[in-house]
Amino acid sequence: MTQQLLNAIFIGSIYALFAVGYTLVFGVLDVLNLAHSAVFMLGAVVAYSLVALHGTPFLPAAAVAITACGLLGLVIEFVALRPLRRRGAPPIAALISTIGLALIFVAIVEQAKPGSRFEWLWRDGANSVKFPAGSVPNATYHVAGLTLESTKLAILLISILLMLLLGYVIRYTQVGRGIRAVAENPRAARLLGINVDRLIALTLVISSALGGLAGILFGVALGDISPYIGRDQVELRGLAVIVLGGMGSIPGAVIGGYLLGLIEVLALLIFGTNVRAGVAFLALFLVLVLRPQGLFGARLRERL
Amino acid sequence: MIGKHIRLIAAGVVATLAVAACGGSSGSSGGGAQSGTSYQGKTINFGAVFSLTGGGGVYGPQQKNAVELAVDDINKSGGVKGAKIAIDVNDDASDKQQSAQVTQTLIQEKQVMAVLGPTLSNSAVAAHPIANNLKTPMLGVSNTGFNIVGDCPYPCTYIFRDSLGEASAIPANIKAYVDKAHPKTGALLYPNDDKFSADGAQVVRDSVGKNNIQLLDSIQFTKNEADLSPYITRAVQKNPDVIFITSLGSIPARIMKGARDQGFKGQFLGGNGFNTAAVSKQAADAGKGAQSASAWYIGNNFKSNAEFVKGYRSRFNVDPDQFAAQAYAGVLILVDAAKRANLTFSDIAGDRNRLRDAMEKTNIDTPLGPFQFTSKHDVKQTIWVIAMDGKGGFTLVTSIKNG
Repeated sequence: MTQQLLNAIFIGSIYALFAVGYTLVFGVLDVLNLAHSAVFMLGAVVAYSLVALHGTPFLPAAAVAITACGLLGLVIEFVALRPLRRRGAPPIAALISTIGLALIFVAIVEQAKPGSRFEWLWRDGANSVKFPAGSVPNATYHVAGLTLESTKLAILLISILLMLLLGYVIRYTQVGRGIRAVAENPRAARLLGINVDRLIALTLVISSALGGLAGILFGVALGDISPYIGRDQVELRGLAVIVLGGMGSIPGAVIGGYLLGLIEVLALLIFGTNVRAGVAFLALFLVLVLRPQGLFGARLRERL
Repeated sequence: MIGKHIRLIAAGVVATLAVAACGGSSGSSGGGAQSGTSYQGKTINFGAVFSLTGGGGVYGPQQKNAVELAVDDINKSGGVKGAKIAIDVNDDASDKQQSAQVTQTLIQEKQVMAVLGPTLSNSAVAAHPIANNLKTPMLGVSNTGFNIVGDCPYPCTYIFRDSLGEASAIPANIKAYVDKAHPKTGALLYPNDDKFSADGAQVVRDSVGKNNIQLLDSIQFTKNEADLSPYITRAVQKNPDVIFITSLGSIPARIMKGARDQGFKGQFLGGNGFNTAAVSKQAADAGKGAQSASAWYIGNNFKSNAEFVKGYRSRFNVDPDQFAAQAYAGVLILVDAAKRANLTFSDIAGDRNRLRDAMEKTNIDTPLGPFQFTSKHDVKQTIWVIAMDGKGGFTLVTSIKNG
């Protein structure tokens, strides 16, 4: 039971970290950035590539990967979002264009093999890999019959610290106030002299850097890095988390992430193995019916 | 406002699925029906449907490589009685519907004589009946699930496979381990939304009793699970002697890593999903000793295998795996049958029938060993029991004559 709760908390923090990036962009732009799952995947892939293919130590590799993912946020903004926003296209158009970018990112990795153009990035095609043994320190402790892995503890700490930091930035800093102003009313924000485009770009950088970090942590802790980890394993759950927590709400995404992890594990413990996913989505459905704004969803103008 | 959000999400999900369902399929085909009965100067066109992308992308690229190697080997050594062969390889993106659609295009528009594939049993269920309806031989080179050949839910008279079924391989592997180590208890882990994995799990459940192993738990999950830890915890806490894993892709390696991290000291036994170097490499030290029955072993040095391994290595700079060997054998089987079939090159429907009849009498040497079909179009070959070496490779444990 205790081990299972640890499992829940741990996967919950990855869901939360992933969903915070989702919800941040949604809060500001009212657009679901479906390329977020591909950025999550690329975070893991770039860090793996630097460590396994180029011999970089893990920490600098992770820093480079997070930076690269932040820059990908700019790519998403300039390629998939801003041109459409300029034309006043409906949010659904931006949603489709981010799906397009995600497909391109996944395809680049999935087709990368030895001898191909992207072999510096990835050489394993559709296969899964994990960080080479010894490249990431991972002491395992056995305490009172429980297995504690240092990577998973680190993930928990990093997630909580980062989410607190993000909450602080959004709530108390100039940039955060700007982002909240844009989220509430872009036109009014612009009239007040806020550089709306710059803040949106910054939001995407922060969101994508968080997504990339979540991907790296996922790759480290689960020993599973492939072109599909974003799309198959976290994308739909990330959406579930932000609906559960309240669209656009950062605390909602955090609590929602842990809640989904907990619901999944409790479902497994109580109802057995076959219905776990079903129970999680049943909970989601109930939230939508009984409290459509989500558990922590504020009225629209109080988001973020 | 919320309504809009929900619509957006629904639209997003639908769009994701829709775009995922579309994908590339390309290729060209030449030749076609010509008159005369001499093979000289003709081209025999075959098709192949492999999962080059998507979940099955772990297996499809090696199959494509092996087919290209086989085609070149055969054409360089004089072809089929003077006729060249060409194989049009298409991607089904690991998607059942796309697999069926690509198969139909190959047969009806590109007029191929026979089709290899598809990669996944899950897709074969959709693609094989189409080939059978169109009276075109289709040879599965990696389908190991139930009811693929023989007892199919439709009259599968044109369907063959050269891939050792899990119904033969898993019991052979369990028996080989039981004879050696006498385990008493086991736990089974598998994703229940994948035909291959669920079929394998059924074989395990049917086999454990005969081998006096008590199955303590049968743990199901879904194949796109983010974290398998809760299931692994459940299995490890039962303290079984053996953990059975019947699944594909990254799942076996993730279970092995998780179980070893949580202190599991027992044995991993599995199915065909273990039999690829990528899985052994991902599992690394956690997979050492994990045992499965394979249709093929890289270290076999009989001539047909040694030449295949050497040719594959020198062309692709990597070792072949079982999927490559079975795909290569598939081409040899088609070519051998085409040689004996007295093709007319003018009557494609008649030629497909003649090819099918010739395939039933296959008796050749392949990288898998001496190969024949049973009367149900299933595999008759030696089974090789192998174990992961902890470094991305395998060692041979024992071999078992089958049929």
